[in-house]
Amino acid sequence: MRVIIIGAGEVGFHIAQRLAVENKEVVVIDKSAEALRKVAETSDVQTIQGSGSSPEVLNDAGIENADIFLAVTDSDEINLIACFFANMLNEKVTKLARIRSGMYTNYQHLLTGEGAGITKIINPDEEVVNSVLRLMSVPGAVEINEFANGKIRLIGINLPEDSPVVGTQLIHLRDKIGEELGIVIAALVRDDELIIPSGLDVIKKDDVVYFVCDIRDQDEILKRLAISAEPVREVLIIGGGNIGFKLAKALDNKFYHTRLLENRQKRCEFLSERLDRPIVLMGDSTDQEILREENIQGMDMVIAVTGDEETNILSCLLAKSLGAKSTVTRVNNFGYMPLIKPIGIDYVVCPRQSAINSLLHFIRRGKIISSVSIKGEEAEALEAVAHEDSPIVGKAIKDLGFPRGCLVLCFQRGDEVIIPRGDTVVEPNDQLIIISTRHNIPKVEKVLTTKVEFF
Amino acid sequence: MRWKYVLHIIGALIACVGMTMIFPFAWGVYYSDGTATPMAISMAITIFAGGAMFGLFRDPAASKSAMTHREGMAIVALGWFAVGIFGGLPFYLGGTFETIVDCVFESLSGFSTTGSSVLTNIEAVPRGILFWRSLTHWLGGMGIIVLSLAILPFLGVGGMQLYRAEVPGPAPDKLKPRIKDTAVTLWKVYLLFSAIETVLLMFGGMDFFDALCHTFGTMATGGFSTKNTSVAAFNSSYIDYVITIFMLIAGINFSLHYLMLKWRPSVMFKDPEFRVFAGMVAAFTLVITIAVYVGGNYDSVADSVRYTSFQVAAILTTTGFATADYELWPGITQAILLFCMFVGGCAGSTGGGMKVMRIMVLLKQSYQELFRLIHPRSVTHVKMGKTVVPEDVISGVWGFFILWIGLFVLAAFIVAGTGVDVVTSFAASLACIGNIGPGIGGVGPTDNFAWLPDTAKWVLTFCMVLGRLEIYTVIILFVPEFWRK
Repeated sequence: MRVIIIGAGEVGFHIAQRLAVENKEVVVIDKSAEALRKVAETSDVQTIQGSGSSPEVLNDAGIENADIFLAVTDSDEINLIACFFANMLNEKVTKLARIRSGMYTNYQHLLTGEGAGITKIINPDEEVVNSVLRLMSVPGAVEINEFANGKIRLIGINLPEDSPVVGTQLIHLRDKIGEELGIVIAALVRDDELIIPSGLDVIKKDDVVYFVCDIRDQDEILKRLAISAEPVREVLIIGGGNIGFKLAKALDNKFYHTRLLENRQKRCEFLSERLDRPIVLMGDSTDQEILREENIQGMDMVIAVTGDEETNILSCLLAKSLGAKSTVTRVNNFGYMPLIKPIGIDYVVCPRQSAINSLLHFIRRGKIISSVSIKGEEAEALEAVAHEDSPIVGKAIKDLGFPRGCLVLCFQRGDEVIIPRGDTVVEPNDQLIIISTRHNIPKVEKVLTTKVEFF
Repeated sequence: MRWKYVLHIIGALIACVGMTMIFPFAWGVYYSDGTATPMAISMAITIFAGGAMFGLFRDPAASKSAMTHREGMAIVALGWFAVGIFGGLPFYLGGTFETIVDCVFESLSGFSTTGSSVLTNIEAVPRGILFWRSLTHWLGGMGIIVLSLAILPFLGVGGMQLYRAEVPGPAPDKLKPRIKDTAVTLWKVYLLFSAIETVLLMFGGMDFFDALCHTFGTMATGGFSTKNTSVAAFNSSYIDYVITIFMLIAGINFSLHYLMLKWRPSVMFKDPEFRVFAGMVAAFTLVITIAVYVGGNYDSVADSVRYTSFQVAAILTTTGFATADYELWPGITQAILLFCMFVGGCAGSTGGGMKVMRIMVLLKQSYQELFRLIHPRSVTHVKMGKTVVPEDVISGVWGFFILWIGLFVLAAFIVAGTGVDVVTSFAASLACIGNIGPGIGGVGPTDNFAWLPDTAKWVLTFCMVLGRLEIYTVIILFVPEFWRK
C-alpha cells in the first residue's frame, strides 16, 4: 500500500513513522530539507523535497499508484490545492486533508463533493474540542474513545483505592459488579506499561483500567466501580482562540457556568458578541488576582487552550495551586507529553495527536471502519464489520486466529452490545471491536483482510 | 555504540557472503578440478563463523531501538574487512597463495572491484577458484550491504544508515519508498544487464564460464579476467566492443538505468553528470585515437578506435581490463588516462575513483570563486543542471577531495618506504584507492602486484576498501571522537 504524506511536520512525521513500521510504502513530501532529513533518518520512507501542491512533485511521488493521500501541512490552502491536484491525477486515491480555518470547514460539503473530492476533512481543533467534551462527560477518566457511532465507549480511568474490584481476577469481575452489566477490561496500565490482560490477571491498586461498555450502562458501571461522578459545571477556559471559542460555544447552555479568559481586547469583544451565557473576561491567565476574583477554587475544571503551550502549562499549574479541582492543558509539542502527569496537570489534549488519531481512523478504512490510539501510541482499538459473505461469519472467536496481545472486546449486533466468550460465534453484520498492541496491528489486519470482506 | 548489535549484524553479513560460495562450489564439482573440497570447507567455516556471531550476539533489547549513524558506519566498514578476510579462505585452502596477505589482497581486490591481482599465472588456477575470484567482483560491485538489504528482512529498520554508509555518493537517491525495495530494484537492474552481457559475450565465442566471469568483471567495473593477457586473449573486436559498452553502462548511475528501463530515457540525457561523463568518453577517445594513430602504434583507424575506446572505458570506469599495453602509447595518452584514474565513474554507479559528480562540483565551485572576484556583489549558487547544490554537500565534497588525495599520497609514501620505486608507488596506491586495477610503471597493464613487499600489499588492501566505501565510512573508525561515548 502506497501512502503519500504532504508535510513533514509533527503530524506528518508521526504518521509516517507509524506506517513505515507497518511496512507500508510511505512517501513524504515537504519543502524543508531539514524536516525531511529528520523523517528519513528515523523511518524507512522516501522523501521528496518540493511543494506538495505541485502536480509535478505529486507525479514524482507516484500518485497514480497511491492508495492514500494525506495533506497535513500547516497551511489549509496548500492542503486543499494538494488534494485538488491529487484528485485530478488519481481519482481513486483516498484523500484526507487537515483543514483548520472555519472559513473552509463550514463548507465541508463543497470540499468533499465533486471538485476537490476530499474523502475526509480532519479538523484538529474540532477533535480537541470533542475530546475535552468527552473528558468532561466522565469525570475521572483519563481517556475516552467512542465506537459504533457513539454507542460503545472505551474508557480509561484511574480506579479509586476503595473500588470493590481492586484485587479481583478479571474472570470474576462480573460477579462483583453485577451480571446484567456488560463490561470488558481492554487493557491495564501498570507502572506506565500497557498490558492486554487475560482472564487470570488481577486488577491492582493504582492501575489505570481501560474498559469497554455500552454507553447506556456507563453511569451504572461507574457507580459500581465506586467512581464518584460529580458532574463538571464550573468551567474556566483560558484562551479565546479557535479552540477556546468553539469550546465555549459548546458549553453555552444552562447546565454550565463557563468563564472564558482572553487577553486581547478585540478578541474579547468578538467573543462576547457571539457567546450568550459564558462570561468573557479580559486579562492575563497568570494573574493571580483575576483567578481569585473569579473564584478559582470553586472551578471543577480549568481548560487552558491558548496557542502558547508554556502559558497553558503554567496557567494550569497556577490554577491547580489556587485550588482548581482538575486541569486540562493543550500541548502541541510531543516532547512535553511525558512531563504533564508528573507535574500535576490532570489531562492533556493535543491537536496533533487528535489529528493523527482521526487520520489513522481513515487509513484503516477499507478493512476496518475505525481505529484509535490508546495511551500515546502503544495500542490501537479497531472496529471492523463482518459482512454476510465473509468467512469469519459462523466461526467462534477462538478459531479466528488472532495473535496474542490482541483481544476481541465486544460485538455490536443490531442494537445490542454483546460481550463475547471464546465460543461466541460471529454473525453477519456484527461489528467487532478489537484491541491490539501496536506491533500486532499488521497481523490483525491480515486476519481481517483474508477472512473478512469490507466494503 | 552497541557492540553486541554491531557484531550481530556483521555476523549476518558474513553468513550471507558464505552462502554465495555455493556457486563456485558447484563449478568445482562440475569441472572436478579439485576446488570443490576447499570451497566446501571455506563455505562451512564462513557460514558457521557468521552464524555463530549472529546467534551469540543476539540482543533482543537492541533491535527495539533504531540503528544510529555510528553503528551503521561501524557495521559497514568492519563488515567489509571481515567479509574480505573470509573471502580469502578459498584462495588459502585451495593453495592458490601461500601467504595470508596475498589471499586477503586478492579477495578485497575482488570485493572492492579494484581488480589488482597478485596472481602471476592466472590460467594455472583451477576454475572453481577463478569463479569465486570473479564472483567477489560481482557481489562487491552492487555492494554486499545492498545485497543483504535485499534479502535479509530484519535489516529493514536500520537499513537506511547502512545503505548510506555503503553508497555514500554526494546524493544517494532512494528509488522506492522502502529501502528493501530500493535494494531489490538495484539488484534487478544489475542482474538484467549482467544477463544480457553474458549472452552477448557467448555469441562472440566465449564459453559460458569465461562469459560469466568477464561479465562479473565488467558490470562491477572490477577487472579480474580468467586469462593471463586479460581480454586481449580473445583477440576479437566484437568482444572488445561488447565489453566497452557494458563497462560504460556500469559506469553510469544505476538510478538512471532504472528510469531508462521504465521508459523515461529523457531523464538520462538531461542528467548533467551523464552528459559530462559521455562527453569525456567521446573527447578522450577522439584525442587518444588521433595520438596513437599519428604515433604509429596501430596501422588502421579501426584498430586505433577499438583499442582506444576500450582503454578509455576501462580506465575511466575504473574497470581495468586490458587489451593493449598503454605504456607503449605516446605520453599525452598516458597523461589523459592518468587523469581518468582520478575521475572514475558516475555517482551511484559501480565504478570507483572520485566520481564525475564530485569533480564537477569542485570545478563549478572553483569557477564560482573566480566569478565572485569579478562580481563581488553577485549572489550565485553552484548548480547541477537546474538544481542548486546545497552548501553542506559542497563542503562535504571538498573534505572528501582533500582526504582522498591526502590518503592516496600517504599510502604512496608508505609503499615507497618499503623500497618500491616512486612511479610505481604512486601508481599502485592510485590504482587501489581508485579501485582501478592496473596503474603504470611496475604495476602497469602487463604487470601485477605479486612482487610488492607484504607491507605495501597490506597498505594497498586497506586503500581498496577506503576507495570502495568512499573514504568517510572507513576513516571515521580512526577518529578518536568516534569511539567516545
